[in-house]
Formats: sequence, structure tokens, C-alpha cells
Amino acid sequence: MLGFIESLLNGILMGSIYGLTAVGLTLIFGVMKVINFAHGSILMVGMYAAYWCVKLTGMNPYLTLLIVVPFLFCFGYALQRYVIKPIFDAEKDVREPITVIIVTTGIWYVLDNLAMIFFGAEYRVVQTSVTGKMIEFHEMYFSVAKLIGGGITLLCGVYLFWFLKHSRTGKAIRATSLDREAATLMGVNQSQIYNIAFGLGSACCGVAACVLIPFYYVYPTVGVPFDIKAFVIVVLGGLGSIPGAILGGIIIGIIETVGAQFMAATWTELLVYGFFLLVLFVKPSGLFGLRQDY
Amino acid sequence: MRWSSKFMAATAALTLTLGTAGFGSAAEVVKIGNIEPLSGPSAAVGIQGQKAREMAVEEINAAGGIKALGGAKLQLLYSDSKGDPTVGVTEAERMINSEKVHLLTGCWNSAVTYPTTQVAERYGIPFIVPVSVRDTITERGFKNIFRIAAKDSWWTRDQFQFLKDMQKEFGTDVKKVAFVYENGDWGTGFAEGWRKLAKAAGFEVVLDEPYPSTASDLTPVVIKLKRAKPDVVFMTSNAADAILLTNTMAEMKVNVKAIISSGGGHADPSFIAAAGKNAEYLFDIVEWETDLNRPGLKATNDKFKAKNGQNLNGESVDAYAAMYLIKDVLERSKSLDPAKIREALAATKLCGGDVGLLAYDCIEFDQTGQNKNASLVVVQLRKNGNSMDRITVWPKNVRRAGYTPVFPQPAK
Repeated sequence: MLGFIESLLNGILMGSIYGLTAVGLTLIFGVMKVINFAHGSILMVGMYAAYWCVKLTGMNPYLTLLIVVPFLFCFGYALQRYVIKPIFDAEKDVREPITVIIVTTGIWYVLDNLAMIFFGAEYRVVQTSVTGKMIEFHEMYFSVAKLIGGGITLLCGVYLFWFLKHSRTGKAIRATSLDREAATLMGVNQSQIYNIAFGLGSACCGVAACVLIPFYYVYPTVGVPFDIKAFVIVVLGGLGSIPGAILGGIIIGIIETVGAQFMAATWTELLVYGFFLLVLFVKPSGLFGLRQDY
Repeated sequence: MRWSSKFMAATAALTLTLGTAGFGSAAEVVKIGNIEPLSGPSAAVGIQGQKAREMAVEEINAAGGIKALGGAKLQLLYSDSKGDPTVGVTEAERMINSEKVHLLTGCWNSAVTYPTTQVAERYGIPFIVPVSVRDTITERGFKNIFRIAAKDSWWTRDQFQFLKDMQKEFGTDVKKVAFVYENGDWGTGFAEGWRKLAKAAGFEVVLDEPYPSTASDLTPVVIKLKRAKPDVVFMTSNAADAILLTNTMAEMKVNVKAIISSGGGHADPSFIAAAGKNAEYLFDIVEWETDLNRPGLKATNDKFKAKNGQNLNGESVDAYAAMYLIKDVLERSKSLDPAKIREALAATKLCGGDVGLLAYDCIEFDQTGQNKNASLVVVQLRKNGNSMDRITVWPKNVRRAGYTPVFPQPAK
């Protein structure tokens, strides 16, 4: 029973971090209809940024949020503006821009290999004030870093949801994701919205990166396992849905952690994908997906 | 006239010396064919083996070669297997038919050694395998294949033997064991060996847990391990998962008497850097370490390092020993006839002296051609300032002088 509670909470915390990475992916997809394969690599860039901040200045890992999140917003913004947009413009009239997907795959490989060249293949871990700190409660141990991390990611998810619902830019983003042409006709600057959406999606990775750093290691392909999970979560929660992504993340996290208490860890992957298939079978648009055609 | 006669005399003298020297060595050069991966993914280890062979052969030739064969010199011939079994087979054919080698050695990659030794067996040419771990290489009833290094299944055997010896030495009781391993070929292979050995030793297996090496979170495995309350944990991990597991185990205060790992990720320098003090007291099994308490080891290693800029390792030590084994065998066979060499090899008992740097005392082959004394060593990780030392603790006769292993490890 204790093991169950311990792993349930751990699953929720880890799952909310998966969820936030997926939020970034779902946001970009919702607006641009582009599957961003470079998403995990952007997370990797964020993790290296946070790693070097802590390593070089010895600052509190959560203070790096103030540096890494704006940095990744700009990084994503510039990536969209200068790398993806030219391709996107060339395919303006295509409903599902395939070439852009290939470009994001290219960005993924370039970023991962640049990291390999500059930082080497070794696994890097940084000691922070919360690294290894545990809260003990009735023989159960909870990682402080994961508790803080889970809290921050949930707050970010709620804020992002509010931002899209009520702010002017948020409304413009939603309008664009619902109908590109109509939004443009209403005076929304489409390419500006794309840049912002890509920036926001990357900034989500920035938050996830900062909260991962105190208890995780960084290496050039660290984004890959998170990336694969994010794709599953996004489809599970419903493409373009932010609450869906967060909830999907938590569900995956719980299945992974709690499931492993009853079977070998290898089998939980089967459980995750089995559940995924089941949801798609019963509700093809995902848990929170709208019944509309994107 | 004066000039030309002087010149003639000089030429005659020169021809005479060269002639005799040439005549003498032509019949008495021992050709050793070495098939090694000198390019491709395993090139680094192949080149280490090459350097070690060269150093040993230089020493042997400088000391007068093979005395029983009138001071015959050893000559090394190399061919690059590229780590490819097909290339290995072709090269073995070429070595035997065109180069007419007397002996063969190689090939490090088990996949290359396996078919290549088959060629040598067919031609009846003695083949010495310094290192190639696959069990079956010496389990085919071949007459001419002799392996110096320990085989795969001995790793798990020695892990259990080590545990038994430690229990005896420190009077600690171990009843429950747990297996945590990556779910690939390597990890599941080890687990298979552990299960049999645990059953034979009467241990209770409280957890038998494979996990995917690519998992982003291994906390679930650690929670399970903690609830299972084992005395000793056996692990087979790659670098990333070794880091995650070791750190999470320390954070969740999983208290065990010992953790015994299987090289791989736990021997990776980045593991020690990333796990830091959480890795302290871990026991890791390896083929050879530079700090072994063996006579002559330091001098040989220093010489090798001065020459090549790197320490000897498991592979190069066995390659070095292989050359001295050849010397010893030829001194006894007194002939280059393959059948005689084979007979001498089978009767080998080469102890100490030139091969004193090995982790065990004597090279002796059983009927299958496996060196029956080959052993592995266990090291313990101990903090030393900011870095982590790998200190040899087992077998006891090679333990670093003055070191007492920490067993059971202190509670976290």
C-alpha cells in the first residue's frame, strides 16, 4: 500500500513534467498544424542552458527559469522565423505541410549532433541545493526536486490555459488555430502568431528543462525519450488541447510508475501503448479532442 | 689495383656476414599471424593488443629468441579483421596458405573468433585466443584452439564466488538477493546465469527485474527494490541507467549489504562523474586492473605507458601474455611442427615470471583448450578526494596491499 501511494505520487509528478513538454508540442501543432520533431532537442537545449547556468554561477536551479525560459522563447521564435517560415511560405497552399515536418527532423539531428560536438557524449549531472533531498513520510520517500518541479509545471499549465483563454494574443492564437484564413481576414498577423506559438512551445520545454536539471542528467540525445512520450501524450489528450496534454502526461506517468509495481518495468511500456490504442479506438480524437477536423 | 682489391675484400666480407646471417634466420623465424580489428568500431582495443604483442616480442627477441630452436626470432604478421567475421575467415585462410604462419592469435570480437578458429582447426594450425568471451568458442571439441581469458559464464560465476568469499571473510549473512538488469541480450544473459547460481547457493531471489535501458524514469524500479528488501543487489546496466538507478537508490535510502555490478555502464568514467559519492562502496567485476598486487606488474605497465602513453588493460595484458605463452610452448616443443606445438600447448603450465602480471598464478588449459585458471577481479569504488578510486579487492591474493574492503556497506 505504501509502495502504491509512493509510486502514485511519483507518477503524478513525473507525469506532469511529461505533460508540460507535451503542452509545448500540442500548442505548436494546434496553431501551425506542424508536428515538431525537434521538440525533444529544444528540451535538450534548455537542459544544457540550465545546466551551464547552475554549473558556472552556482545559482539556485529554479532561478534559471528567469534566464532559460526567455532564452528558449527567443530560440523557438527565431527558429520559426528564420528556419521554418521560409519553408512554410513555400508550402502556403498545402493543407498539411509535409516538408516542414522534414525540416523539423533536420533541426533535431543538427541540434543533437551540435551538442555532441560541443559538449561530448558524457552524462552530466549538476549538484544543486535540492539534489538528492527527500521528504520522509511514514517510510515513504518523496523527492523535493520532483515535488517542486511538479508544482511549477502544473502552475505553468494553468497559466498557459488562462493566457490562451483570456489574453488578446491568446485569443489570436486560438483564432488562428481554429481557422487560419478567417483569423487573417480579421486582422491577425498570421506569421507573427506562428512565431509566438513556436516560442511559447519552446518556452514550455524551458520550464520542463529547469525543473528536470536538479534530479536528471543531461546528454546530447536526452530529448528523445521525452519526445516519444510527448507524441503519445498529445494524441492521447487530444491534438491541440492543453488540459488534455497535462492530463495525458499524468496518466502516462501513473501507468508507468504504478504499473511497474505489479509487473516488470519492461511490461509497462506495453501497458502505456495498450491504453493509448484503447483510447484511440473508443475516442479517436483523444480524451479532450474536439470532433473537428484540424 | 690497391683500391679494387680492398673493395673486393670488403664486398666479400659483407656478403659472407649477410649470407650467414640470412642463412641462419631463414630457417628459424617463427611466424605468428595475428588477426585483430585494426580498423572499424573495435579498432581501439585491437590496436592496444597489437602494441602489447609488439612489446612482448621485442623483449623476447632481445633476450635471444627461442633457445630450443637455436635462437629463432619471433615475427609478427598482422591482418585487419575490421571486426567482420567474413574478413576474419578470409584472412585466416591467407595467413595459413600464403604466409605459412606457424601459429595464429586473435581476434577479440567473439563473432570473428568463432568462425576463424574453425579455419585454423581445419588446417590443424594452433590458434591462441587471448580475449574473446563467447562461451562456445572453446566448446566445440576443437583440438587446436586455446583461450587465455575467462569466458562469459564465468563473470556471473565469479560474482557469486566473490559474494561467498566476502561472507566468509566478514561473517555477514546473506539470504535474499535481487537482480536488476537491462532487458537486452547482455542483461538477460547475465540474469539467466544469476538465477541458476542463486538456486545452487540457496539464496532467495526477492526481485528479478528487467528494465528498458532507454527509460526516462527508473524510480518505479527503485521503489520495488526498496520494498523487496534484498541483502545484495546484482546489476547489469548501461551508463545512463546505471546513473539513474544509483542516484535514486541513494536518495530513497535503499539499504543493502552490497551492490555487485557487471562492468559496462558501471565501469564507464562518466558514471563515476555523474553518480559521485552515491557510487561509493559499489563492487564491480572486471578482467584486470592496473592496481593488482602482482609482481612485475608495475614495471611492465610503466614500460608500456612510457612507450604508448596509455595503461595496460585486460585486452593488452592477455595479448602480452600470449606472446610469452608462445615462447614457453616453443621452448618445450623444440619444433615448428604444428602437431608438436599443439601437444606442448595442451601441456602448458606457465606460472609467474613473464606472465606474473596476470590476475592469477598459472596459465593451464583444460581439455577444451580453455585456460582453467583465468579469473576475473572485483574492484570496490572508494572516494579519494574529489575522484573515485577503483580498488581491487578480490581474489584476495591480488587485493591492493593494505586495503580492507567495506562489507557490508554502511547504511545510508
